[in-house]
Amino acid sequence: MSDELIQIETPFAFNEENQREFDELIGRYPIKEAAMLPTLHLAQNQTGYITPAVMKYVAEQLEVSVMKVKDVVTFYPMFFEEPVGDYVIRVCHTLPCALRDCKVVLEHLKEKLGTDIASETNLAKGTTADGKFTLMKVECLASCDVAPVIMVNGDLHKNLTPEKVDELLAKLAS
Amino acid sequence: MAFVKLNDLEIEVEDGTNIVEAARQHGIEVPHYCYHPGLTRPANCRMCLIETYGPIPGAPPGTIGPARQLATGCTTTVRTAPPDRKLDDKYDAIVQTDSPRVKKAREDVLEFLLVHHPLDCPVCDQAGECDLQDYSYRHGHDKSRYIEVKNVPPKKDLGPDVLLYSTRCVVCTRCIRFAEEVSGTGELGLVHRGSHDEIDIPRSHEGVPLQVLDNKLAGNVVDICPVGALISKDFLFKSRPWFMEKANSVCSGCSVGCNITVEYKVDGVYRLKPRFHEDINQHWMCDDGRLGYHYVNSDDRLQLPLKRVDDEFTPTHWADALAVITEKLSEVEAEDIVVIGSAQGTNEDNYVLQQFAHDVLKTTQLGLFGQLLGEEHKFPQFTIEADKNPNTAGARTILGSANGNVVLEGDTLWEKVSGAKVVYLVSGLPERPLEDAEKAALESVDFLIVQDILPSEITQLADVVLPGTTFAEKDGTFTNSTGWVQRIRKTIDPPGEARVDWEITQQLAKQLGGEMNYHFAGEIALAISENVAGYGDATHQKIGDAGIKLAE
Repeated sequence: MSDELIQIETPFAFNEENQREFDELIGRYPIKEAAMLPTLHLAQNQTGYITPAVMKYVAEQLEVSVMKVKDVVTFYPMFFEEPVGDYVIRVCHTLPCALRDCKVVLEHLKEKLGTDIASETNLAKGTTADGKFTLMKVECLASCDVAPVIMVNGDLHKNLTPEKVDELLAKLAS
Repeated sequence: MAFVKLNDLEIEVEDGTNIVEAARQHGIEVPHYCYHPGLTRPANCRMCLIETYGPIPGAPPGTIGPARQLATGCTTTVRTAPPDRKLDDKYDAIVQTDSPRVKKAREDVLEFLLVHHPLDCPVCDQAGECDLQDYSYRHGHDKSRYIEVKNVPPKKDLGPDVLLYSTRCVVCTRCIRFAEEVSGTGELGLVHRGSHDEIDIPRSHEGVPLQVLDNKLAGNVVDICPVGALISKDFLFKSRPWFMEKANSVCSGCSVGCNITVEYKVDGVYRLKPRFHEDINQHWMCDDGRLGYHYVNSDDRLQLPLKRVDDEFTPTHWADALAVITEKLSEVEAEDIVVIGSAQGTNEDNYVLQQFAHDVLKTTQLGLFGQLLGEEHKFPQFTIEADKNPNTAGARTILGSANGNVVLEGDTLWEKVSGAKVVYLVSGLPERPLEDAEKAALESVDFLIVQDILPSEITQLADVVLPGTTFAEKDGTFTNSTGWVQRIRKTIDPPGEARVDWEITQQLAKQLGGEMNYHFAGEIALAISENVAGYGDATHQKIGDAGIKLAE
C-alpha cells in the first residue's frame, strides 16, 4: 500500500451539552446503531463538518465500524465532509419551484455571492471566500405551495424574488 | 422434503432450500450475483428472478397461475405445504426459471448492471471466470442501448493484497457482507448514493484511509467477487484462468486443513483458492495460506543432493549421496541414531520413515519436527490455528504407530539429538528459524542428514542435504487437528533432482537391505489403513475429494 493511514491528531469528543443530549437520545433506540443520524447531526453541529476524528468517535460511541459511519455520511447530502459557510443556502430546484422561476433566484444568488453552486463532493466550489455562505441546489423542500423556496440553515424562505433575496442577504450579512 | 415442480422437472428438495440452490442441485442455472451460500441474502442484484405459481385470487378454487410479480430465487424458499394447500393436488411449489417473463426480466436486469460496466474484458483478470461475462453471454442482450456517459469511478487500493477496479463493480455487496459477517472486521462499505455507489474502505474526504482491508481473511473478497472488481495483487496479470491446470488439494499453512484448489502451470504454482468443505473451512481460507505458496516456486529450491567436503557443500548425485549415508548408518549402533519426521510431510512420508526406522535401522528413537507455534486468529466464522503444520496429528500417530505411540517432541527430542551420532532429519518446512537449544543439539551431532526443500539454518548444519518436495509436488494425505484425513495432489514436478520424500527414504532403506517396495502414495495409504489404528478407512479411494473423519 502506498497510502499511509490517517493519524488523528486532535480526537473529537462531544462537549458537555451535546454529551447530555447524546445520552438522552441513545436511550430512545433499540440498538445503538439506530441513533446514527441524530448523533451525526449533533456532532456536525458542534464541529461544522464531519472530520475523520468525528467518524471515529461516532463509530466508537455507537459500537459500529468506521465504515458504517462513512457510509451514512456519504449517503446523506446533509452531512458535510469539508468546511461550509456559516449560512448554508439550499435552493430547491424540483418541478414546482422550477416552474416558479427558481432559476432566477439561483442565478441571482450566484451573482450576489460571487460563487458557483456546490456539488456534493466539492463544497468549496459553492462557498464564498469569506466563509460566510455556501450555496447548493437541493431536491424538494416540501413547500411547493409557496414556491420558489430556499432553506437557510433550517429556516424556510418562501415565494422568493430577487428583491426578497437581496433583503434576506442583507439581513444575514449584518 | 418438499415436492417441487421446477420447470419440467419434478424434484424433491429439503424444506427451507432456496430456489437457486434447489435448481443448482438439479443442474439448472439460476444466475445470481449478490447471493452467496456462505453469506446473508440481501436480494439486491435482482438477477435470480423466478416465477412462482399459486392459486389465482378471484378465480375458481383449484385454478393455478403465475404469481403477479416475479420473486427472487435466493430468498424464496420451498417447504412442504399442508395437504389442502397442495398445488395440482401434489406439488408443494411450482417454479419456472425459464419462462419468457423470467428471461425478459433477466435480460433487462443485466442491461442495467452493464450500464456503467466497461468493456475491458481483454485486460481484466476475471475474464474467463467472470459471472458477468458468462451470464451476459447466456442470459443477456447482445447489445447495450445505453448511449449516455458512463460513470468512471477510480481504481482503488484497498489493502496489502486487494485492488478495487470500481468501474467493473456491480455493487452486489458480497465483499461488504463478508467483512461484516465472516471476518467481522467491517472495513468495507458503500460510499455515495444511487448510481454513484462505490465500494470503499473508510477514508478522509481527501482520500487518505482510516483503516485498510488487511485482515487475514481479506483475500476471500477477491474470490467471492462475481466480477473483476476486486483483484488480488498477487495474481494480477499473472495468467489467464483458462491456461492453468487445477488440482484439488489441502492447504499446508496450518492444522485447520482448508480444502483448496491449486492452480498451476508447467512452470509453477500460480495461486491457491479455497474449495468448499462444510465441516472444515466452508468457502474460505486465510491469506497466510493463500499467499504462502511462493516458496514452492523459489529459485533457491534445493535441486541436487549436497554433501560436505572439507566443510563446503558440494553438489553431488543421488547414488553418491545415498552411498555416503548408508556407509555412515551401517557404522553406528541403532541406539545412536535418531530419525525425525516432519509435521509438514504427508502421512505416507512419515509411514515410510517410521518403517525405515523400525525395520531397517532398528531404532525406536523417532522424533517429530514442525513449525514453531504461531498465533491463533479467531474470526466470527473462521479460525486460523496456532499450529502452523498441516499434519501434526497424522505425523504423530503414524510415527508412533509401531512404537507404542512414543514420539519424541520438544525438549526430549533435542536431548536425544544431543547424544546421537547420526540424525536423519526430514524437515521440508519453509522458513523455520532454529531456537538456540535446537541449534546446539543439531550442532553436536556427528553426522546430520537433512532432507529439506530450501537452504536454511538447518541445512547449514547438515553433513548431507537431500532435496525433498513441497505439498504441491507430491500425492499423499494430511490429517488435520479435528481428525479429517484429506488428500493432497501432485501438481508440478519437483525442481531439478529433488524427489518425493518417501521415495528418498525408501531408496535409503533398499540400500541398507530393507524390503520396502512402494510404487505410489496410494499404496502406502493402503499399508497405513491396514497397520495404523483408526486409519482403517483412510485409503486414497475412500478419502477422495471430501476427506474422511477419523473415529474419535
